[in-house]
Amino acid sequence: MATYDFIFDSLNLRDWCDSHGGEGGPMTMAQLLGQSSGEETTVSAWDTPFPSLDALHDACAAVPRSRDLTTGLEEGFMTIKDSLKVVVDPLTQPLSWALNDALWLMQAVPWWIMIPLLMLISWLVGRSFKIVGLLALTFGFLAFVDYYDYTMQTLAIIFVCAFICVLFGVPIGIAMSRSDRFQRFMIPVLDMLQTLPPFVYLIPLIFLFSVTEPKLYGIAIILYAMVPVVRLTDLGIRLVDKDVIEAADAFGMTNRQKLFGVQIPLALPNIMAGVNQTIMMSLAMVVIASLVSAPGLGVLVLRGIRSLELGVGLLSGLGIVLLAIVLDRVTKAALARINASQPR
Amino acid sequence: MIDPNEPQEIKISIRNLYKIFGANPKMALEHVRAGMGKTELLAEHDHVLGLNDINIDMPTGRTTVIMGLSGSGKSTLIRHLNRLIEPTSGQVLVDGDDILGYNQRELRQLRKHRMSMVFQKFALMPHRTVLQNAGLAPAVEGQRESAYADEARKWLDRVGLEGQGALYPHQLSGGMQQRVGIARALTSNSDVMLMDEAFSALDPLIRTDMQNLLIELQGELQKTIVFITHDLDEALKLADHLVILKDGFTVQQGEPQHILLNPADPYIEDFVSDINRARVLRTRSVMKRGGDPSVEVAGEVDHDDNLESVIEMSGGDTTKLYRVTKNGEHIGLLQMRDLVRALVPQGGSDDPEAARRAG
Ligand SMILES: Nc1ncnc2c1ncn2[C@@H]1O[C@H](COP(=O)(O)OP(=O)(O)OP(=O)(O)O)[C@@H](O)[C@H]1O
Ligand SMILES: [Mg+2]
Repeated sequence: MATYDFIFDSLNLRDWCDSHGGEGGPMTMAQLLGQSSGEETTVSAWDTPFPSLDALHDACAAVPRSRDLTTGLEEGFMTIKDSLKVVVDPLTQPLSWALNDALWLMQAVPWWIMIPLLMLISWLVGRSFKIVGLLALTFGFLAFVDYYDYTMQTLAIIFVCAFICVLFGVPIGIAMSRSDRFQRFMIPVLDMLQTLPPFVYLIPLIFLFSVTEPKLYGIAIILYAMVPVVRLTDLGIRLVDKDVIEAADAFGMTNRQKLFGVQIPLALPNIMAGVNQTIMMSLAMVVIASLVSAPGLGVLVLRGIRSLELGVGLLSGLGIVLLAIVLDRVTKAALARINASQPR
Repeated sequence: MIDPNEPQEIKISIRNLYKIFGANPKMALEHVRAGMGKTELLAEHDHVLGLNDINIDMPTGRTTVIMGLSGSGKSTLIRHLNRLIEPTSGQVLVDGDDILGYNQRELRQLRKHRMSMVFQKFALMPHRTVLQNAGLAPAVEGQRESAYADEARKWLDRVGLEGQGALYPHQLSGGMQQRVGIARALTSNSDVMLMDEAFSALDPLIRTDMQNLLIELQGELQKTIVFITHDLDEALKLADHLVILKDGFTVQQGEPQHILLNPADPYIEDFVSDINRARVLRTRSVMKRGGDPSVEVAGEVDHDDNLESVIEMSGGDTTKLYRVTKNGEHIGLLQMRDLVRALVPQGGSDDPEAARRAG
């Protein structure tokens, strides 16, 4: 006797239950336990189980078990997987190429060109000797402890992914700022991307692509890191002073002129804040993505965990922190320069 | 100031203009046409009556001032003239063309070449220099800075901003920013200038300066100016044609002197009760037109002199008679007794507080 028999009896569904309920699938853990204890337990009111799928299944075999639900989901995904792959695979192939090329390039360039080059870039972006010095020290240190290659791999992935995030994120943000409907549609999507634990979208991606392909982690990083630049582009454009927009209209600007001549320039501080966030989130994700074969410092962290090499874990963790600080400072310096050029 | 008896060309005509804010303005319009007022419409149908059957003719080359308290629909009205707001019903004719029939391209042409606007909060582009701001109209047209710089600089100089073209708006004071706003409107070389409370955000002294600047510019350029204000002194100083709005309808419009002497409504009496009439009223408004040119007079006054100057001239003697002249020719006679009578608001109560309570 199961707790919820009475429901099906009172609804006259007993026949339906018996006719449909093939004793399919292996037994659940609860059934096994119940069998081994060997006695028909009478359930006290205190222990009344929640009317879950499993509990209802006990009463009526026609009701699926919760395990059937998860297998159903899995089978559903498997059936659409192939057709999905036909579409997604070629679309994302350029990402694999970009990642491979960037990884190759960053490692092929000798350190005595690469480090000065990065210093030069940070100077151009931030115009601050302090930050150039910080960058030189960080990369000098990482190279000194023989993590140079790992660092370059991480950096290559971040550059490619952050670039793609901006490339797609800014236009999406602009579209959101112009259409309330699109914004209403996108906000839950962005919320979901931001709150889903990154591991969760790694799982379907593993089924979709082979683990050896760089686009596997590329997509995971981009999905995760794109959110802030989209949000802040939307916000930045919506925050542009209504009076200024009205003036632009009153002097006969076209929508295009308004977008490129007024809205984007005035939203730039917010967009850059989004880019900064996006870069930081790419870095966070590139570490996690080492679980699915992303190269870089994350691999070392993983080694630290897997084989309990505390020293390697700690040192590579420090490396990631240093890298994060440098990336943050360089982009913040760029942001500060934009803010200084258009104070309000 | 102009003589109200001269025939005037009309630049902008507004015909039966209605604007209702809300989900279903067409439905609400029926109620308004049937005579429903602003408060009832809001209470019963949850629609805001912005403008209610507005008819105004704005004369070419003159300043039309639209006055009213906060929420009376002034900003809504002025934004219909360049269609920043679309009407619920009605017509707006500029040079005889109904601009509501314009498509987007024609509308942009109108905004670029025929109308310019000056805003209460200046609305300058913070990321562009003063010069680039002043040259907004030619820049929108696609001209490079080098092409429009001379023209923009000319107007910046004219409004008193010599050599400040390279600064950014935030480096200027409010008064100077609004000068940039005016230079921007002038650089567009349009006939019509729309000014929505252009001086309201400025402190009183700067405000007087700006009013004088505008009068001076208007003397040179004769633009058709539509000026919005909620300050009667400002309105009387600038207006050739005065329109008074209340709750979205026109309470009275016409020559400012005429409105001052013949307020049509307690609302307007309330407005006019506080001002210095001797300074605002002109001799032509209180004189008797015509009269015998050969009669003995105590002196001559110009038709555009204000009463204050006549009182000063007469030394307070209320028995005197003055000849009123225009370009040196006799046009009427001014009896001091009429002048004194005009100094006291007529029709309304002598106590301005009572009028306020009634209004
Ligand atoms: N977009 C809008 N939606 C709803 N109601 C509006 C809108 N714009 C204006 N209104 C209403 O229309 C009326 C007129 O507003 P308007 O801004 O034209 O007044 P105003 O005379 O310019 O006042 P102020 O002196 O405060 O600027 C007000 O009651 C206002 O609440
Ligand atoms: Mg207003």
